[in-house]
Amino acid sequence: MEADRFDRTVTTTCGYCGVGCRLEAHAQQGRVASISPALDGPANEGHTCLKGRFAHQFTRSRERLTSPLIREGDGFRVASWEEAYARIVSELTRIKSEHGPDSIAALASSRGTNEECYALSRMLRAAIGTNNIDNCSRVCHSPTSFALRKSLGLSGATGSFTDIDHADVALLIGVNPTQGHPVVGARIKQAALRGLKLITIDPRRIELADYGVLHLAPRPGTNAAMVLGISHVVRRDGMIDEEFIAERTDGYEALCELLDAYTPQAVEEITGVAAADIERAAHIYGEASNASILWGLGVTEHKYGSEVVQLLCNLAMMTGKIGKRGSALLPLRGQNNVQGSSDMGALPDTYTAYRPVSDEAVAQQFEEAWGVPLPREKGMNIPQMFDAAIGGKLKAMYIFGEDVAQSDPDTAHVIEALENLEFLVCQEIFENETTKYADVILPASAFLEKAGTFTNAERRFQKVEAAIDPPGGAKTDFEIITTVSRMLGHEMGWETPWDTLEEIARLTPQYAGVSYENLGTRGLQWPVAADGTDSPILYTTRFDTAAGLGHFAALPYKAPGDAPDHEFQLVLVTGRVLQHYNAGTMTRRTHNVDLVDRDWLEIHPDDAARLWISDGDKVSVRSRVGQTELYAKVTPRIEPGHVFTSFHFPETRTNLLVGQSSDVNTACPEYKVVAVDVRPMAEQPAFTPQLVTA
Amino acid sequence: MVKLTIDGAQVEVPDGTTLLDAATLAGRWVPTLCFDDRQDPFGACRVCLVDVEGSPAPVPACTTVCRNGMRVNTEDPTARRVAGAIVELVISELPVPPAPHTEVAQIAARLGVPDEPRWPGVTHSVSHDLEHPYLAFQHELCISCGRCVRACDEVQGTFALTAVGRGFDANVAAGLDSGFLNSTCVACGACADTCPTDAITEQTLLGGGGSVFDRGTGPRNVVASV
Repeated sequence: MEADRFDRTVTTTCGYCGVGCRLEAHAQQGRVASISPALDGPANEGHTCLKGRFAHQFTRSRERLTSPLIREGDGFRVASWEEAYARIVSELTRIKSEHGPDSIAALASSRGTNEECYALSRMLRAAIGTNNIDNCSRVCHSPTSFALRKSLGLSGATGSFTDIDHADVALLIGVNPTQGHPVVGARIKQAALRGLKLITIDPRRIELADYGVLHLAPRPGTNAAMVLGISHVVRRDGMIDEEFIAERTDGYEALCELLDAYTPQAVEEITGVAAADIERAAHIYGEASNASILWGLGVTEHKYGSEVVQLLCNLAMMTGKIGKRGSALLPLRGQNNVQGSSDMGALPDTYTAYRPVSDEAVAQQFEEAWGVPLPREKGMNIPQMFDAAIGGKLKAMYIFGEDVAQSDPDTAHVIEALENLEFLVCQEIFENETTKYADVILPASAFLEKAGTFTNAERRFQKVEAAIDPPGGAKTDFEIITTVSRMLGHEMGWETPWDTLEEIARLTPQYAGVSYENLGTRGLQWPVAADGTDSPILYTTRFDTAAGLGHFAALPYKAPGDAPDHEFQLVLVTGRVLQHYNAGTMTRRTHNVDLVDRDWLEIHPDDAARLWISDGDKVSVRSRVGQTELYAKVTPRIEPGHVFTSFHFPETRTNLLVGQSSDVNTACPEYKVVAVDVRPMAEQPAFTPQLVTA
Repeated sequence: MVKLTIDGAQVEVPDGTTLLDAATLAGRWVPTLCFDDRQDPFGACRVCLVDVEGSPAPVPACTTVCRNGMRVNTEDPTARRVAGAIVELVISELPVPPAPHTEVAQIAARLGVPDEPRWPGVTHSVSHDLEHPYLAFQHELCISCGRCVRACDEVQGTFALTAVGRGFDANVAAGLDSGFLNSTCVACGACADTCPTDAITEQTLLGGGGSVFDRGTGPRNVVASV
């Protein structure tokens, strides 16, 4: 039936969030005419949200980059691909010979495919000779990856979205699925309507709280105390699984000693959540036969974000609610390929499947495959790259699909770093805040224009197929990266991304059975055995650690990196809204702006009254590092003492407000706790967003 | 497990399986109109009628549960004649014939419903809600199958759509008949996806004016400045 209406229909995977909806993209005259959900998509089961279904007009925006641009004076001029490639190769070669390979770094993209991320890491490691490669999961779920590996062994969700359908209880902490992950949000809502008991923990009263049995609103930055308090009650009231703890874990005694101090009363002091509610949450979770825990960036983007994820692992292990149907730990990943970009080894310290660059056997395997010697020392992560650029050690960066000047914290610091580079390449679909500092801008492809695989939040490799061609002179990222590498002297030897996938599977035992044929329409969840058997549920019999045991972590609550004081009285939390996606590069170029056209500052009526702010007023928001202005939305959904805003519109420059505080283990920025001063604009001269130091 | 015969073939299905699912599993086609696999069976349209031996009249396959020893005929002439008449009557209320790609048009074609209705009469008057940037509602094409309402409830969980009116005036409203844009609609599009008549569809598929975001992708000549 669709054949009569459209020229071409391909089944692909959505390029917005990490849910990984399977989509049917219908093209007409070289444009995407419509998108509908694939009925057999395992993550979406015939559903999508307004981003996946409707927000595709950006692909044909006249603002798309359609030819390479080279810096000339204060602006850019159009250049041929030959010239752009030649400039990149000559500059990178020069910088490498003058300052060594470690003066060059690259950022892979969690928006790109697995194959592109793998190719860029290979280019850095084999063609340049450095491990200076990182990706944007650094600023979102790197704490999750770190903690899951530390506690359980593997860096991924322990189950699948279908576990939500089989759970009796779901504990949601620091995640707002109906806005950030709408299709999983709809799944949770349907499950709740059928009787799933929801506990929501968030400083905002999220929509799902209305469908739950209990909502807890801890002060931002006190998640650790919250989880320790629940664990305390679970243990005190005997809701633990002693057999599971004895047979499958270690370190429980040390945790018990720590838990003694986290009585509900003590936790109430820290979090502001009533002791009785903490007891209730513990009993609802502890008494369930099956319970899953879901979290998002509200857990990770904190100074001790990775530790909170370890504490959540504790809770699941002490109650034996892990490794079985309905009992899963499900981190909801923000971007379509946050899971995959890290899986692929686009990290400064690991090859594919998180095998360390210092591991001699692994390094030798890649040396043999790629035919070049490879560095054993780990490279720089994103914050270290910016510091090194400012310090003069890092000279060149190749940034693929990430607008660091918009989305990374402490914008002033990022811009100083970019300005200090001798050479910056941006591979992008639109000009953005970061490309302003580029020397060469390469026009690349959106997800509807390329082939390869994405890995969703369930560890599921899924196929991506091109519905349309890249616009004008733009090229696929795969072609660009493999060409640059070839011109740098390292031929990767692939014709299509499927050849890359074959190499990834061949060199990575965990992905051994992943192939174009085996992926089919439903994809495969790693680890995938050579015969194509995949793993919807991890750890059914053992954890993926040396002795097969899960490790309890006795980690106390520590205060967040920022706190309100006399001058900065409110705590700002940042996040997403349904209609827009991250820096808004795509969704702002669609009719989604007709639905939401700006970032709002949500403020509680009590605070609004105290500060003489009315609904719709323009307000100034000032932090210790920056200042911006926003329109106020007065709503009781946010707790008193807190304000919330999204970061979708570049004119807001929300990240001007965020300082340097970051996760102690992974350097993931503390986006979620920023002390701010909010006041009506009338009280001071009108500011446009600017840096305090500027 | 339950054992039954469908069109002469022995079939074994789990307890609680509907005749429709069992027939589909057995590779038999049963026409449906108000059915969507993503939703609970509704049993409103009576297009999925099949004959069960011993039953006084054809039964709806989507809401009838399989029982041991049932002998089912999915191509019973009475059932098919009634199904065809229902679809013909439904279409006769539309001011224009349904577009060929729509589910209702395809079922009509497969059931041999004549292009010219045998029972012409009053048709729905044209009423459009085109304010939403993505979703278009052409109320005159609504056949009150309820699929959009159930998609909003059972798939998305937003409850933005409601069945309104009675008899010939039955229709569907977004919000308090305030249109999509002013309702609680989250624009997931599940309603447009399930609608069998294009009463709810995408603005861009209606043809007509292009989007302001559709401004061609010719070679760019603009030199950007910092």
